[in-house]
Amino acid sequence: MSEQAPQTGRAAAIRIRGLVKTFDEGLIRALNGVDMEVLQGEFAAIVGPSGCGKSTLLHLIAALDRPDEGTIEVLGHELRTERNLDHYRARDVGLVFQLDNLIMTLSAAENVQVPMFESHRGAGERRARAEELLEMVGLTGRDKNRPAQLSGGERQRVAIARALANDPPILLADEPTGRLDSVSGKRVLELIEELRVKRGLTVVLVTHESNVAERADRVIRMLDGRVVEGGTGAGAEAEAAAGQEKP
Amino acid sequence: MTFVALILKNIVRQRTRTFLTVLGISLGITTVVALGVVTESLKASSGEILKLGGADFMVAQEGAADLSFSIVPQDDIAAIQATEGVANTEGILFHIARVGSNPFFFLGGREHAGILANPPPIREGGIWDKGATDQVMLGVNAVKNLDAGVGDTVTIEDRQLKVVGIYQTGMLYEDAGAYAPLPTVQEIAGKTGVVTAVFVHLEPGADPETVGKAIEDRVPGVASIINVGDYGKVDQGIQMLDAANLAISVLAVGIGAIGVMNTMIMSVFERTREIGILRAVGWSGRRILRMIISESLVLCVIAAGVGSALGVLATRAILLIDTVKNLLEPQYTLDIFVRALVVAVAVALAGAAYPAFRAVRLTPMEALRYE
Repeated sequence: MSEQAPQTGRAAAIRIRGLVKTFDEGLIRALNGVDMEVLQGEFAAIVGPSGCGKSTLLHLIAALDRPDEGTIEVLGHELRTERNLDHYRARDVGLVFQLDNLIMTLSAAENVQVPMFESHRGAGERRARAEELLEMVGLTGRDKNRPAQLSGGERQRVAIARALANDPPILLADEPTGRLDSVSGKRVLELIEELRVKRGLTVVLVTHESNVAERADRVIRMLDGRVVEGGTGAGAEAEAAAGQEKP
Repeated sequence: MTFVALILKNIVRQRTRTFLTVLGISLGITTVVALGVVTESLKASSGEILKLGGADFMVAQEGAADLSFSIVPQDDIAAIQATEGVANTEGILFHIARVGSNPFFFLGGREHAGILANPPPIREGGIWDKGATDQVMLGVNAVKNLDAGVGDTVTIEDRQLKVVGIYQTGMLYEDAGAYAPLPTVQEIAGKTGVVTAVFVHLEPGADPETVGKAIEDRVPGVASIINVGDYGKVDQGIQMLDAANLAISVLAVGIGAIGVMNTMIMSVFERTREIGILRAVGWSGRRILRMIISESLVLCVIAAGVGSALGVLATRAILLIDTVKNLLEPQYTLDIFVRALVVAVAVALAGAAYPAFRAVRLTPMEALRYE
């Protein structure tokens, strides 16, 4: 099954072919041959029920884990053969988790500075950049606050600022509003949309909330480790309907 | 925020654990420093003995367990004197006795001619009369300890000796002891016809190494002690102390490393998820490694500082004991503190190796899944 990106003339930012990922020595097949493309500057939402493999897919795109089979090509680089995945994680993708995953002992500004240790910025530049990013996400004056002193929505905004610390062209967000109240969640989504427009980001967002997915250019629907629907994907729905058995 | 600031934050956030770890390593470092100071002080004292009476070097019995046990027959002195390059010699008998409150009272037996030619710096009175057997010269500290002065009589191992002079050499054991005629000391020590060591004065231009070797070839069973490094030939006590110091340093590294490893393992386990976050935002394995090893190094360098300070305090405390005060002049050489630092760094690297390896081996996702 394949999920093709709309034919807009834009190059693919992410191209995935035959992706398989298993856990527990193959007993759990989280991804079962995923094919997918996301265009540069596109906002794609991956949706599906819990356990369908959407977060696993995002983690593989972020190179947090290695696939068993298949290929992931990001901005022309094949991750399987990429020698410096640390560099890729630091420069090419920004990651926002469902849990903000901030370091509790560091202030908001220090958390934003953490990825910049892998850049060539000096301490002064890191500090200035962190302030600029916090201002951009609407947290001016909260730079010295530790995560425990911030609300859930504010923490998630710090996480977004951190994800953009090294100016990556791709933002990957794993249920960024999943633990937030509706007002905070709405603000976070608006921020992501705003940043995407301003900075020309490619955004891949995993969610199980339909109101969140509606904001995306394209919705990629997953079920049982496969992509079953995705806007222009010819034949996707038919294949899903045919109910292919999982191997 | 700098990398160093981040490391310090990581250490400070676990204050109690950091304190206990630093304390544990410090105690090991304290032992290394205190023992180092004692060893260096003993070596310095030994170095002073070598040059006794302005001699160029000393000849003593080869393989003696301790210099005070060395025996050189007086008959050998003539053979040493006859060696080419030797200007003159003096045989001195050392005897350690309990006198007053000092259990390590140094009593040196010297020939009248020898002390006349090379007397210790005299503060009061003079040297004993030629042929006298019941006269003694006291060091300035012995005068204080025994509350005696010129003209008084002191008792050394049941022998009544009249104080005829007071000297001050600046060497602790000499100033806390006494010199008496050689036959008198031989009688007190029960060592008739022998001396502990022969002190050699060279002719101008003579090479100590060459003359020392010639003496060893000429007189069997003796060793020439040209410098402190040769001391082990006639005093295995220093060698044993050196060996003990090394053994304690190794033990300190072993025990300290286990303590640091425990701290660092706990720290890495507790922060596994955090390490996953760092990996997820692009930190390289090398940077994680640097972070963990740097934290360990900071802990151990703090411990080296604290341990060195405690070691100095410990030796100061030991010197409050009268008997030790008369025996040792503390030597705080750079070597001792460098050794303490080396031990601390070894502890840091050994202790951080496994936790660092474990942290780097995890994939970001494995670390993030860790609860």
